[in-house]
Amino acid sequence: MEAWLEFGRGPLFRFCLVILILGLLRSVVLSLYGMNEALRRAGDKIVPWSDLTNKTFQWLIPVTRLFRKRPVYSAISFIWHIGVILVPLFLSAHVLLLFANGIGIHWWPEFPQRIADLMTLITVIMGILLFLGRVSSRESRFLSRFQDYAWVPLITLTFLTGGLCANLNLSAGSYQFSMLLHVYSADLILMLIPFTKVAHCVLLPMSQYISGVAWKFPKNAGDRVAETIGKEGMPV
Amino acid sequence: MNPLTVEEKTKAFALPKKAEVVEKQKLNVRYHVEDGLVIEDRPRRFLEAMAAILKHTNYRFALDHYIRTSAKCSRCATNCQIYETTGDLKDIPCNRSELLLSVYRRHFTVAGMLKGRLTNDPGLTDEKIEEMADSFYNCTACRRCTLECPAGIDHGLITHLGRYILGLIGISPRALVVSTREQLVGQTKNTSAIPVPALLDTIEFLEEEMAETKGVEVKFPVDVEGAKYLFIAPVSDFLMEAESLMGIACVMKATGDSWTIGTKNYDAINYGLFYSDHILEKVLNQMEEEAKRLNVKAILIGECGHASRSAKYFYNQFAKDFPLPVVNILEYTQAALASGKLKFDTEIIQERVTYHDPCNIARPGWVVEQPREIIRAFIKDFREMTPNRRENICCGGGGGTVSLDEVRSYRTLIGGRRKAEQIEATGAQYVIAPCANCKKQLRELIEDNKLGCELVGLHDLIYKALILSPDGVAWHEPAEMVM
Ligand code: SF4
Repeated sequence: MEAWLEFGRGPLFRFCLVILILGLLRSVVLSLYGMNEALRRAGDKIVPWSDLTNKTFQWLIPVTRLFRKRPVYSAISFIWHIGVILVPLFLSAHVLLLFANGIGIHWWPEFPQRIADLMTLITVIMGILLFLGRVSSRESRFLSRFQDYAWVPLITLTFLTGGLCANLNLSAGSYQFSMLLHVYSADLILMLIPFTKVAHCVLLPMSQYISGVAWKFPKNAGDRVAETIGKEGMPV
Repeated sequence: MNPLTVEEKTKAFALPKKAEVVEKQKLNVRYHVEDGLVIEDRPRRFLEAMAAILKHTNYRFALDHYIRTSAKCSRCATNCQIYETTGDLKDIPCNRSELLLSVYRRHFTVAGMLKGRLTNDPGLTDEKIEEMADSFYNCTACRRCTLECPAGIDHGLITHLGRYILGLIGISPRALVVSTREQLVGQTKNTSAIPVPALLDTIEFLEEEMAETKGVEVKFPVDVEGAKYLFIAPVSDFLMEAESLMGIACVMKATGDSWTIGTKNYDAINYGLFYSDHILEKVLNQMEEEAKRLNVKAILIGECGHASRSAKYFYNQFAKDFPLPVVNILEYTQAALASGKLKFDTEIIQERVTYHDPCNIARPGWVVEQPREIIRAFIKDFREMTPNRRENICCGGGGGTVSLDEVRSYRTLIGGRRKAEQIEATGAQYVIAPCANCKKQLRELIEDNKLGCELVGLHDLIYKALILSPDGVAWHEPAEMVM
């Protein structure tokens, strides 16, 4: 068990982290490159940048319009996102074990344990509510794919086990088991992020710009399309 | 919102086509498609067309980005007037987009192709194409859903692309195609097939009418080389919106700017925006030729949402060698007002008035406050609809569907239902809609839903209230405008 744990926290963690970083980097580069190419080919380069920037911040820091629709669901999701982003990064145990020992970063701010515990608990509760929200909404059920159901439970599991491990009085008997689950589910998360919708963690800031630039069309593209499919000279 | 009754539902979704036609065209959609539609090998041809588009245009990177970020949160379901009315899960914007995104994923990404092979997924089928053909025209391309997408997906863009691909395999509403053909290769070069002599006749008639009701000579200048503005209205205005046109002419008279209508091209309608980027470009190129011939300094588009948007956002993208600024008439009139050139009789409009924001000019935040400033200048009892401005609800005839008479009951019972309720809540007698498409749709909506108010253009009211006459009276006698 100990060896497995070491493997999960050491080499596997580093491997997953590399996948995560390279995978996300690839997505970002592809989107940026695509946007650049599109602009290069576009007939004119007039893009409403400031409007797109406003929209970007509207959703990156979603306090202005998020709560206008579905306020409860929005609040749950909002708190969930805060927990999911902050806890793993600033938890003291992580700072020491992973960042310092694992990848050699020594300066890193950390949360006091009590606050981290509270945030973990809240995130777990939000995770459960979020999942219930998804399965109980007719619309969400209709749209959901496997990954849409799986992500929230997977992350919640990681938080739950992490929280247990951080509080020995709660996990006395099952510490090792909890830790194993925690470490491996976390590794799985890191590895899956770039290939699933959670890639939005880095792609989101680009989305509005991409939607804006996508309306920029190249000149004569219509003719070239018609030619390619053998319909030249017949636009109508 | 009042739920749909069974009777309304049956009426709205009735198939206006003969069963033989549906069978022959293998296309179970409510709009008519031209005869001679090729039905063989539809999936292959769809994919070829899609591949060609992805190769030569800019859509691909956006699709790539969208398939990576789409989180299926279903938030867009709160912002689509179609879904809110039908309650049919298939009408959720994200699902509409998924129809095309899934084709992209399956046939144009490595992972999708591999997965397809491993799972023996047949890929694109006739049924899926039929579903897209139906869904993309149930949508009014109003882009309201994009406001609520946290992932920033522009569902309107996907509908736009989907319709373009479908168009390349012959699946486009007949009404749009036939009009466009007349505009691009027909005799009259406009979508309403109005020949030049008839246009000139109408103009003469309008000028007489203005002289009579305003007591001042107001002209529609024609073919004036070197004029500042080339004025292009949606050509149907010459048949149906005489008062909007006269209001515009009066504003131009008041400002004294030089402007002209061009007899080689006097139609701003651009159905390309609704089903084909190729046509979008051709129609704008035609506009450019006319602007160049008359050597104008700017293009002034009349009261029309889609025509304004096509010109404003695409004219210069497609311009060959005569780029120009594009101005919407509401912007122009507001500027005239701000510089003190317009004088109104503020007593003449006593009725309660509300304003409908046409999606194509309001959604981008372009023409939003200008009309309100104009309205406040001479209308006392103005009541906003909620929501309004950039968040407005579509009239229900957007995306070209207003031109499809065969789907009228769908438009007025489903597409425009939320709008009808909004209008009713304001208690207004006049509904202003500065857009040819919205005007037609809202008139039908008012009629079919028995709303008891009147639909007008903003310049219709300006026409009544603008003071041009030496005696300081705006309106001499309410003119009967029938042509
Ligand atoms: S563009 Fe408008 S009609 Fe179409 S899905 Fe979005 S909100 Fe609905």
